[in-house]
Amino acid sequence: MSEKNETQVQQSVQGKVPEIKDGAVIVETPSTWRTIKREFLKDKVALVSAIILAVVFVTVIIWAFFIPRSAVTNVNIIDQYLTPGTQGHLLGTDEQGRDQVKMLIASARNSLMIAFMISIIGQFFGVIVGLITGYFRGIVDTIIMRVIDFWIVLPFLMIIIVLVSIVPKYNEWTLIWIIGLFAWQGTTRLIRSKVLSEADRDYVRASKTSGSSNFMIMFREILPNLASLIIVDTTLNFAGNIGIETTLSFLGFGLPNGTPSLGTMVSAATDPTVLATKPYVWVPPVIFIIVICVGISFVGQVFRRAADARQRLG
Amino acid sequence: MKEETLLSINGVSVAFKINGEFYTAIDDVSLELHRDEVLAIVGESGSGKSTLATTVIGLHNMNATKITGEINFQNKEILELSEDEFNDIRGDEMGMIFQDPLAALNPLIRIGDQIKESLDVHSDMTEDQKQARVHELLNQVGIPHPERVAKQFPHQLSGGMRQRIIIAIAIANKPQLIIADEPTTALDVTIQAQILDLLKDIQRENHAGIILITHDLGVVAEVADTVAVMYAGEIVEQAPVATLFNDAKHPYTRSLLRAMPTIDSEDDELYVVEGAVPSIKDMDRNSDLFAPRIPWTKPDVGHPVLKEIAPNHYVRGESWREFKFKDEL
Ligand SMILES: Nc1ncnc2c1ncn2[C@@H]1O[C@H](COP(=O)(O)OP(=O)(O)OP(=O)(O)O)[C@@H](O)[C@H]1O
Ligand SMILES: [Mg+2]
Repeated sequence: MSEKNETQVQQSVQGKVPEIKDGAVIVETPSTWRTIKREFLKDKVALVSAIILAVVFVTVIIWAFFIPRSAVTNVNIIDQYLTPGTQGHLLGTDEQGRDQVKMLIASARNSLMIAFMISIIGQFFGVIVGLITGYFRGIVDTIIMRVIDFWIVLPFLMIIIVLVSIVPKYNEWTLIWIIGLFAWQGTTRLIRSKVLSEADRDYVRASKTSGSSNFMIMFREILPNLASLIIVDTTLNFAGNIGIETTLSFLGFGLPNGTPSLGTMVSAATDPTVLATKPYVWVPPVIFIIVICVGISFVGQVFRRAADARQRLG
Repeated sequence: MKEETLLSINGVSVAFKINGEFYTAIDDVSLELHRDEVLAIVGESGSGKSTLATTVIGLHNMNATKITGEINFQNKEILELSEDEFNDIRGDEMGMIFQDPLAALNPLIRIGDQIKESLDVHSDMTEDQKQARVHELLNQVGIPHPERVAKQFPHQLSGGMRQRIIIAIAIANKPQLIIADEPTTALDVTIQAQILDLLKDIQRENHAGIILITHDLGVVAEVADTVAVMYAGEIVEQAPVATLFNDAKHPYTRSLLRAMPTIDSEDDELYVVEGAVPSIKDMDRNSDLFAPRIPWTKPDVGHPVLKEIAPNHYVRGESWREFKFKDEL
C-alpha cells in the first residue's frame, strides 16, 4: 500500500485529517475502547441492551448478597402460590411458598455465575489449545483437531446428563467442570484458524528473526492480536452457556437442590395446571432469560463490528 | 577482497513440499560474504532470492522444507543448530530487514516495545538501560522525537519511518550480518535513497556484512560490492559490481541490464525480457533453464555449470559466448 493510500484509509476511518509533524503522519490511536464506543453510539438497540444488562447484573449480584439462604430453602406450604401483590410478595410465591422476587434474584445470580465460570474455563482451554495447534501445526495439530471433530459430534447434552447422574458427590462445581468439558472446542477451532493465518504474517517472522522463542511469539506477539476475537467469542459463549445451564436445570440435571436456577424456576411450568393457570410462577424467569440472552447477543454484535473495524485498520 | 569471511554458503539446495512432493527452489548455491561487504542478490520475482535469505536466518517450516548443503556463519554450522541455539544467534549476531515495514511490525505493540523485544531476548540490560538503548537506536536511524515515537503504534508512522523502525529492530544488538530483503521496494524514491544511506552508515559503524536482495539494479549500482544474479533458483552470474555493470556475460544478466532505465538512453522504449521465471513445479533441472526465453540462441546441452571465467567472475554455461540480442542479429 502506498503511503498516500494509507493516509486516505486512516482519514476515512478516523474522519480526521492527520497532522504532519517531522515528516511523520501522526493520527490518533483508534483505541479499542474508542472503536467500541463509536459502534455503540451507532447502534442504539445495543446501547440500550448494554445499559439494561449492566443494571441487571449489578442489581442481581448485590441484591443476591442480602438474600439469606433460608429464603430459598425454607418450605412454607401455607403460602403456596400466592398471587402477585398479596402479603408483600411482589411476584407472588411458588409451590413451596417462597417469595418469587427473592427466588428470581438468587436463581439469576447462580445461573449467571455458573455460565460465567464455564465461559472462563472454556475460553482458557480453547485459546491455549487453539494457539498451540494453530502455531505448531503438523502432527500435534492433526491429532488434536481430529479429537475435537469427534468431540463436537458427540451428543453432548446426553453425555452431560449421564455424567451428572453418575457423579457421586455432585455440586455446582462438578456441573461447571462437566459443562466446561464441552465448552472449549468451538473456541479452539476459531482461535486455531485465526492463528494459522497470523503465524504466516511478517510480524511473526520478523519476531522470529529477533530470536524470540515460540512461547514468546505465541503469547506476546500473536495473543494480543486475538484479543478482539476472544472478547466477541466470550460474550457469545456466555449467552450460550446460560442457555445450556438453564436447559439442564429445567430438565432436572443441572444445579443440585438447594441451589436455585432460572431453569429450575421455569420447570415449574411442567405442571399443566401451573402452566395454564399460574403464569406468574414461570413467566418472570422466562422473560429474564430471554432479555439477558438477547441483550448479550446485541452487545456481542457490537463487539464483533468493533473488532472488524480494528481489523480493517490493522 | 581479503577481509575476514563472515558467512559462507556451500552447495545449498532448498526444496519445498507441495502436495506431498518436494520441488527444488534453490539449487546448489554457493556464496561468500565478508565483513564490510555488501553482497547484492538480484533476479526477477520467483527466482529464489527470499528463499535463500530465509534459509540463512532459519525461517523455513522444517516440516515442509528440505535443506541440504552447508552454511557456515562465524565458524558455526547453522544448518545443524537446534532451535534454541539458533534463537541465540538470530537477532543478536544476524538481523533481517523485511520488504513491507507495515506488515513486519506488530500492529498492537508500541514501537518502543517492539524494539525492546530483541534486547529482552539477548541482553541482560536493566529496564532503564533498554529504554536508553531504544532511544539511542531511534536516534541512530534518524527518527525525530524518539521518546514520543517509542510510545506510538506502527499505523501512526509513515512508510519511511516504519522502515527505519524495522532497521532499528534488526540492528538493536549490533549484528555482524544484516539480511535486507527488498528493503526499499515499498518506499518512494527519495526515501529509498535515505534508507540505503542509513544502511551504509550502520555497516560502517558495526563492520557488518550485508546481504541485499533487490530487483532494482539502480540500488545495486549504488551500494553493492559484489553481485550474484539468480535465475530459477541458481546463480547464473556472479561478479564484483564494476565488472557486472561493465562486462556482464550471461544473457540473463545482460537482459536485466538492458531493461534498466537510464537517463541517457537513446530511445525511451524499455527492453523487456519476454516470459517469466517458471514455477518451481515446472523447472527441468537437467536443462538450460533460461534458454526458453531466448529461443534464437543455441542452448547449452544438459545442465550448464558455473565457471570462473576471470578472477572472481563466474558465469553459468557456454551459451553466453554466442548470445546476441534480437536487434543485434
Ligand atoms: N513456502 C513455500 N512453499 C512452496 N513454494 C515456495 C515457498 N516459498 C517460496 N516458494 C516458491 O519458490 C520460488 C522462489 O520464491 P522466492 O520467494 O524465494 O522468490 P523471490 O526471488 O524472493 O521473488 P520475489 O521477488 O517475488 O520476492 C517461487 O516459485 C515460489 O513460489
Ligand atoms: Mg522475495
